Amino acid sequence: MMTHDWTLKLDGSAMPDRALVGGKAWSIARMLSMGLTVPPAFVITTKACAAYQSSGLPEGLEAEIAEGLAWLEAETGRQFGGGQAPLLLSVRSGAAISMPGMMDTVLNLGITEATEAALAAETGQSAFARDTHRRFLELYASIVLKTPVHLEEGATPAQWRDTISQAAGQALPDDPRAQLLAAVRAVFDSWNSRRARKYRQHNGIADDLGTAVTLQVMVFGNLDADSGTGVLFSRNPLTGARAPFGEYLPQAQGEDVVSGKFTPLRLEAMHERVGAAHDQLLIASERLEADSRDMQDIEFTVQKGRLYLLQARSAKRAPEAAARCAVEMVHEGLITQSEALDRVTPEQARELLRPRLAEGATAGLQAVATGEGACPGVASGLVVTSPDEAERRAAAGEAIILARETTSPDDIHGMIAAKAIITAQGGATSHAAVVSRALGRPCVVGCGTGVLALAGQVVTIDGEGAVYAGALPMVAPRAEEHPFLGQLLAWAAQAGNDKFTTQPAEADLKTLGAVHD
Amino acid sequence: MDARHLALHGLAIKRYAGAEAVAELTGLSPASAEAQLAQALATGRAVETRGAFSLTPLARVALQASYDRIFAPLREDKGFAEAYHGFERINPDLKQVITDWQTIELRGERRANDHSDQAYDDRVIDRLGTLHERAEPVLSGLASALPRMAIYGRKLEAALDRAEGGDIAWVSDIHRDSYHTVWFELHEDLLRIMGRERVE
Repeated sequence: MMTHDWTLKLDGSAMPDRALVGGKAWSIARMLSMGLTVPPAFVITTKACAAYQSSGLPEGLEAEIAEGLAWLEAETGRQFGGGQAPLLLSVRSGAAISMPGMMDTVLNLGITEATEAALAAETGQSAFARDTHRRFLELYASIVLKTPVHLEEGATPAQWRDTISQAAGQALPDDPRAQLLAAVRAVFDSWNSRRARKYRQHNGIADDLGTAVTLQVMVFGNLDADSGTGVLFSRNPLTGARAPFGEYLPQAQGEDVVSGKFTPLRLEAMHERVGAAHDQLLIASERLEADSRDMQDIEFTVQKGRLYLLQARSAKRAPEAAARCAVEMVHEGLITQSEALDRVTPEQARELLRPRLAEGATAGLQAVATGEGACPGVASGLVVTSPDEAERRAAAGEAIILARETTSPDDIHGMIAAKAIITAQGGATSHAAVVSRALGRPCVVGCGTGVLALAGQVVTIDGEGAVYAGALPMVAPRAEEHPFLGQLLAWAAQAGNDKFTTQPAEADLKTLGAVHD
Repeated sequence: MDARHLALHGLAIKRYAGAEAVAELTGLSPASAEAQLAQALATGRAVETRGAFSLTPLARVALQASYDRIFAPLREDKGFAEAYHGFERINPDLKQVITDWQTIELRGERRANDHSDQAYDDRVIDRLGTLHERAEPVLSGLASALPRMAIYGRKLEAALDRAEGGDIAWVSDIHRDSYHTVWFELHEDLLRIMGRERVE
């Protein structure tokens, strides 16, 4: 029995010390302790990081890594660096406190020419195996060798390796174990990156805390018809309704979900295909939410019918959902009133009360122009096409909409003066989109050149992506009447908390050039 | 580029700026920038509102017309052109980072980022830091061909420092020399130098 000075297996036996294993490994251990299934993992501790910082990779670490790999092989029945069922790893940095500047995750470590072929045979998808290989090489080049390269999809692995060694000035090791050690070094080195050091300085975090490295088995959602991948929110992230909301993509890997090439299925469809995994997922969602006392965003993969949880964290949510969750979790006894107040920001409250088109205002109307909504909100005014004119007329008290082919820094004074901005060309990252969001002006981009011909007309802009003729009626929701915000305001008033105090809605409407109904 | 053109060029980029801001951007001395702006005002090339100068429409066109002559040598400079192309390669990524800073994706829907998710904000600022590291060789390439370009690198780093320090308005606030403001001024400067048009 060897001693473990530098590594720790995450086998669910006891909760490890967070300072020793870092946040990522700690949350894996937490899921295991709740009886949930996660892909097997072990962690190289912050103690090894401290030793590395003073005198390089510590003696005995390599042997412990080899033993950890053997354990992962036994747990999965797969083999690292060879065999018919290859074992691939993710390599993640993780300090006790998450901080910027740390190394990003390297995925699919362990893929080689031989394991690519094995994976192709196992999945029956040679294109997938080849692409897994390509994505690993790209990540390794960018993260470990610090040389971002673009690898052409049609090329061979040998050509990709050539591209990398030319760009990086060093060859990529062939042996996955050597790659693994290089990745571990890169994680430890990233602890002292300029940004990480600065962040620690700013936030008073000790420099000798160190980061751990989590080595976790990759699971495959594309092995067979009983495999798949998806995400689950423990409540609806848009409305806050207390019903799990999720998407499932059968026979696919996580990146297929992100790529948008496939349309994910609803949870009900997952129930039909992999019923047991679906039921376990809902149980996991309940447990994770109860334990964290907050709405969870859970990434999961089903491999041959078996559910694996990849990550669970507090979910991002729309303002409506933030208010509803906060109030309902108090009613459910999950959180206190004062916690509920902490969970909704003044910006979210303002967003809920933002003026909008009156119900039915656009009924029967055809938009005179449509485009990509770049900044939400509504506003009415007279269309002008020159920023100077926009500024002059706005200064004289007119409500102005600025229409431009595209915008440049030359137009900013006109954009500031305008109530809303529309452009003929450009997308969600165009200058007009970026600046209008910074200014909080409703903005529709890429409407086509016809939009310039609207000059001289009064229009209403709906920042979701439409322009209507005339000034349409708008309403500003009242906080007291909002089912959840009203409750939060009442609690805030009781607690003498004035964070949600806003300006009267009537003033907003006047600013937007709206017609009152 | 003579002091007169340099002052007008600086004003075209800064727009509605005082002499100090024009001096900082162009590397002119404050006294020289002030004198040039006063002269531009006297000759009808600029107007002043509440201490801020801007070019008159005619002066803007005339300046644009002079660029071909003024910047011809720089456009021929291989090192500068290479750095410029490097900038254009990074520019789409910068716009994406700023868009991700301003908006957040919730199950396929883009919403305004209300900055309530600190971990999300940290990740975006982290990406901005990575992008800045990629931009550093480009910035020094520009500055070695045209020394006044060095100011952009300094201002970008200052904005990044403040954003990383937690003062998040320095990412994209339009009313200060935020990272995005300075980046766009640099882009505008480069487009004028190279005689190109903004795509979107």
